[in-house]
Amino acid sequence: MKKLIYLPLALALSAGGFSGCKSKQANNDANTTTTSADTVTNTAPVQISSDDLLSTGVRDATKDFPGVSATVNNGEVTLTGNIKRDRLPTLMQSVQSLHPRKVNNNLTVE
Amino acid sequence: MALEQKYQELINAAKTSEVQNLQVREQNNVLYIDGEANSGAVKDNLWNIYNKIDPDFKGGDLVLNINVKAASGSKAKVITKESNLNIRKGPGTEQPTVGKAAHNEIVTVLNQTNEQWWLIKTNGGVEGYAYSQYLTPA
Repeated sequence: MKKLIYLPLALALSAGGFSGCKSKQANNDANTTTTSADTVTNTAPVQISSDDLLSTGVRDATKDFPGVSATVNNGEVTLTGNIKRDRLPTLMQSVQSLHPRKVNNNLTVE
Repeated sequence: MALEQKYQELINAAKTSEVQNLQVREQNNVLYIDGEANSGAVKDNLWNIYNKIDPDFKGGDLVLNINVKAASGSKAKVITKESNLNIRKGPGTEQPTVGKAAHNEIVTVLNQTNEQWWLIKTNGGVEGYAYSQYLTPA
């Protein structure tokens, strides 16, 4: 007989416990705010590509620019030769996306 | 901090045009600005501001790396100056070409393999890697 008495009590307790967890979870969700995307501070060091990767990348980037030569040294890309002004942004966009330490633009811009 | 001031207009424009994962870092007298734009127009605008502040990009004090996001399955337009765009077997110019996409042709982006190369498919069924600099979300 004792078991029959305790069983409903145990069920009631466990049910109460569950509902308590649920409401706590709901509160957590409600309190979560979306952080705005305008945070720009980052203290992680800038990732610089290896010279091998940069050399491959620079070869691809300059392929369509026959008047342009590029060298890579310790993360720095140096561009020399001639280029038309309207083609310069395309080349610079490609080169600067390779994660170089620096881009030295010694090109003669025509 | 001096470089952030020099390029303040560019940084502000990146923020207002909702560039994602925007990072602005100054290290050894070079400013690094990284982020992802939702359109080619946003990227072009930022580069125009860069060119205005530092004419012909001669300063060597900024590395601007703004990539344009393109979802898998989305369309992209070929923006070569006038020539065809090579489609290659793998991501690199040493890879053999498997086909070409015409200037202004619309292709399907299968994935953005990396910042330089996207896997694309033409309406004609040619599938391979193309240089992302010559593609923009359509």
